[in-house]
Amino acid sequence: MSFREKSAWITLTAILLVSVLFFLHGPELLDPNPTPWTLHAAAACIGAFIAIEVVAHLVLYLRNPKDARTPQDEREQLIALKATRLAAYVYVVGSFLAVLTVHHGANGIAVGFFVLFAFVIAEIVNYATRIIYFRRGF
Amino acid sequence: MSTAITNKIRRLRFDRGEMTQQELADRVGVTRQTVNAIELGKYSPSLEVAFRIAAAFGVGLDDVFAYGTADENVKEGRAQ
Repeated sequence: MSFREKSAWITLTAILLVSVLFFLHGPELLDPNPTPWTLHAAAACIGAFIAIEVVAHLVLYLRNPKDARTPQDEREQLIALKATRLAAYVYVVGSFLAVLTVHHGANGIAVGFFVLFAFVIAEIVNYATRIIYFRRGF
Repeated sequence: MSTAITNKIRRLRFDRGEMTQQELADRVGVTRQTVNAIELGKYSPSLEVAFRIAAAFGVGLDDVFAYGTADENVKEGRAQ
């Protein structure tokens, strides 16, 4: 398994872990007057994601520095481009759907929450697609 | 009938004292996984990488890669 594939697995796992914790508090976040605890939970989730990413990638680097320092080759660049393109479509569609919730009575905070949800789904699609391409060869 | 790019990388590596995929990858400047994907026909390399692979073996591009129908390539492989 190449460094980029391991990195994609780490990021996908971190996103899934943190986003599940974050969106479990969805109903509280949709409250027009969020409590400080809710905001602290959101900040803690972002902090946890950054911590997982940094520590896991550091461990990965220390285990095989040569592999980690190797620049992306053309196949890896193509995989990243294809995955990012697909994720962009998901994000655009998700954002439009989030805006449409205004017609169903959603307030500004709720729309922001749905846009964030669309972004997280798009990132999950991004890294899952990369892993699929890496596993298949291309 | 489908057309496909086939290659003789596995054979060429074998002929050069069982050169490993990692050794070839280091010479070409790609990852071992990319060499494996090219060798298995899952990924078609750019012209530049194809030339670098041929240069790593010291042969021409035609000696490494072939383009044609799958049937033609199978027949060619049997003839060798």
